[in-house]
Amino acid sequence: MTSRVVRLSVVLLIVAGRAPAQIIPIHTVPIVPADQFDIFPSYTLAMGEVSIAVPDTLHDPFVNPAKGARVRAARFFGSPTLYNVSHDAGAGRTLPIGLLSAAGSWYGGFALALQQVDASRTPASFLAPPPGVLQAVGRLGGADLSPDPSSHGNALAFAMLGKALPGSGLSVGGSVRWTKLRAVDGVDLLYPGSTSVHQYGETIDARLGLLKDWAGDRSLEAVILHERFHMTHDVTFLDAFWDPGIQQFVQRARLEHNGDFTRRWGAQVKFERPLTTSGWRVGWLATANRTSQPSVPTTDLLNIPQDPGHAAAYELGVGVSRLYGPAVFGMDLVYQPIWSATWAEARTPTATSTGDTIPVGGRTVDNAFHFSNVLFHMGVSRDVVRSLTKTAALQLGLMVRSVHYNLAQRDHVEGATRRLDESWLEWTPTWGLSLRFPDLELRYRGRVSHGTDRLVATPNQVFGVASPTAVGFFPQTGPSPTLDGVHVITHQISVSLPL
Amino acid sequence: MMTRIVRMAYLGVLALAAGCDGWHTPSGPPASLDAEVRQSLGGWGVVPIGPAPAQPAALVDLGQALMFDKVLSGNRDISCATCHNPVTNAGDGLSLAIGTGGSGLGPSRTLGPGRQFIPRNAPTLLNTALGAPYLFWDGRVSNLGFGGFGGGGGGAFQTPAGNQLPAGLPTLLAAQAMFPVMNREEMRGARGDHDRFGNPNELAEFADTDFVGLWQAVTQRLLAIPEYVTKFNAAFPGTPTSALGFQHAATAIAAFETQALTRTDSPFDRYLQHDDAALTTEQKRGALLFFGNKARCASCHGGPLLGSQNFANAGVPQLGPGTGGGAPLDFGRGELAHQDFARFWFRATPLRNVELTAPYMHDGAFATLEAVLHHYNDVPRALREYDVSQLPPALQPMYHGDDATLSGVLATLDGRLSAPLGLTDVEIRELVAFLKSLTDPAARDLSALTPARVPSGLPVEE
Repeated sequence: MTSRVVRLSVVLLIVAGRAPAQIIPIHTVPIVPADQFDIFPSYTLAMGEVSIAVPDTLHDPFVNPAKGARVRAARFFGSPTLYNVSHDAGAGRTLPIGLLSAAGSWYGGFALALQQVDASRTPASFLAPPPGVLQAVGRLGGADLSPDPSSHGNALAFAMLGKALPGSGLSVGGSVRWTKLRAVDGVDLLYPGSTSVHQYGETIDARLGLLKDWAGDRSLEAVILHERFHMTHDVTFLDAFWDPGIQQFVQRARLEHNGDFTRRWGAQVKFERPLTTSGWRVGWLATANRTSQPSVPTTDLLNIPQDPGHAAAYELGVGVSRLYGPAVFGMDLVYQPIWSATWAEARTPTATSTGDTIPVGGRTVDNAFHFSNVLFHMGVSRDVVRSLTKTAALQLGLMVRSVHYNLAQRDHVEGATRRLDESWLEWTPTWGLSLRFPDLELRYRGRVSHGTDRLVATPNQVFGVASPTAVGFFPQTGPSPTLDGVHVITHQISVSLPL
Repeated sequence: MMTRIVRMAYLGVLALAAGCDGWHTPSGPPASLDAEVRQSLGGWGVVPIGPAPAQPAALVDLGQALMFDKVLSGNRDISCATCHNPVTNAGDGLSLAIGTGGSGLGPSRTLGPGRQFIPRNAPTLLNTALGAPYLFWDGRVSNLGFGGFGGGGGGAFQTPAGNQLPAGLPTLLAAQAMFPVMNREEMRGARGDHDRFGNPNELAEFADTDFVGLWQAVTQRLLAIPEYVTKFNAAFPGTPTSALGFQHAATAIAAFETQALTRTDSPFDRYLQHDDAALTTEQKRGALLFFGNKARCASCHGGPLLGSQNFANAGVPQLGPGTGGGAPLDFGRGELAHQDFARFWFRATPLRNVELTAPYMHDGAFATLEAVLHHYNDVPRALREYDVSQLPPALQPMYHGDDATLSGVLATLDGRLSAPLGLTDVEIRELVAFLKSLTDPAARDLSALTPARVPSGLPVEE
């Protein structure tokens, strides 16, 4: 396990979990993205999440609603999913249930999910004041100082509707996913030293998809999406202060109200076709995201000063697959160039080192990020038992994500320019087992991510002044957050029943 | 065939990883200046100051009268406020204070005939109510409670009066206010003195160890004035006049100091309360030096009060008549504790409003903050090259710059100051800028605190 002081924080979607397809995540530190929103059943997620040249009729309708046209018959599904972050740094459980169906040229589906997300830290350790500091109890300063509940619930609803246009090989569809959020995994870690983080908000993800199938098993698909992420964090801190009346350190509640708003437009085009007659297929994809973040949570972790920001993110990918008897092999290679700009704005007139004054709202810091990320996905699936009444298959896969970025920061107050290069690798093996019967389909998939960290803040401490000339014990304020290496294990069991 | 494909694919992954030469995990700067400052603050227990406890109006009224009334002095010629004058920010602007027999106020105050300077600088009374565990330069009045800071005010006070100290003193500041009237050079006067009206100074006749007798005598003086009886009865409504003692007067003086002289709304205080814009960039850089490893100021001036919790020999030039067995030198804490290793140790003063309280150090050896910082930058050298011309002419002959004295001072010099700090001129300017951020604007002009008259009828401003 590594442990290091956080000197740099995340820009844009710091903890919004694994991004659904077509959404390109942007992280400036390897903070672990928990699998909070990766909840729908899939054939290929256990194969290293290959997706470009391997079809996934279970999962694809949730990504591109036009691909619901490939649903041949009505199916009910349930896919209980749970994830666990090592070192007790977070966990969650989700129960989605849904229905995909087709009637004539129309098709549709819906899903509902209830989710429980555990706190990423132990509240008790943050509530205990250091020795020598009087503990604030009950309600203080309008803030409730009772410990956070150990878990919070989210709710998700998904609806999809589409139509295949007869004779044209064309399908169009739309989908909406709405999530009522009370807890986003890891958000409580953004506020080291806080006693409680009350989260509330919602996300809406709307998609319009198109699918064109040609003879010869060629297909072109396109999707455009719009996503709104709107969260509020009410954060209660207990600040130590010196009370001259009783001549003691005392804690006082402070309530911070933080908004985390993100808007994103995205588009993706994907084309796939057979490569040869020997079962090989090839696909290409191109994705573009335009993200703006008008409000960023204010957290002491943000060592890079920033207020709003926007980003342009792109993907260019190629994938191949091969169906060879009872085996399927797939491999994707994706390049992600990303440009992101964030800045900090002056809240009061701010004097610069050159004697000028930056007015309120003027930029005090400009951050320009350029990412060059590479993603590699690879997976295999092989039927180990195959008969007319049952099929059993094993799946294995691996995802590798390499992140590299450079930051050019211009500090208008100090008149300084700084540069920074960062890079890291994330490894995620996946595995799965599926059992198919005529009246039931059972799937298990698992994954474990490595190379990622989670913020850990040391609770408030007291240090003594160990000097013959000195007396006293001082509470050490402002716990130092560190990044500790963790891994996230996800398990999902999905059940699919034909209706 | 399939096996070969998988094998090649894995080799591809390995090649990808191997090609990424120089992978490293994020760790480095650039951190923002605010993040660095707040990180450095966190280790020193520097936290906001809460509001001072509100004091009853009648108690403050009595305390104000006593503070400015020369009737407390043996010769009726000096009040507390003479050396702790609001016009000079609750100090006197002098390097060494001038006690009874002197004339004038502030920096223009002059010695009386046959009188000597007080051995030490009169420290400002600003923020003395915040709860420092030691008062006076040598910390002879202290409240170590259950361990000093964080121990609360529950412990017995340690004072020169020992068990003669009356019960009922609510704070260490009230305990401190018991003692200036005992000091012959400051307020009591010498045996045989006559007061300003030519009457014998009865307070000067008490033995130096008779604290109880002297305090009773001062109280009798006060209660002989009907207006004071009225004020005492209003301030202590549950206490019969016959039960009043000087501890009640000291309590009232401390209440006035608490109410009127607590000034903690400086830019730095606002910064501590999460207002990043409260400090300029230069001040923040100064804060980084102050709380960082280069200047290391916070190792003495840490904690919520930015000082007052420890003692150090900062190698300050010796100046003045000296005191105790060390005279003409001033051994400070070492004299009090009778410990050679503690010679020349003095209290690290709290630094809020320090900009307003020149001259600096226990004997006012430095006229400016810049001079103080140049001294700290290389103490051994600065001590040997001390420029006596920065002192007022009357004090210049009282500088003790002989080799024996310098060697004696350097012998117990605090180890943190034995080697040069290596501060540049720019860094010293930044430190000064930071120190000026500790000034509460409301502390700049305290002249409104001076009453027009006092119950004794003695002149207030002369």
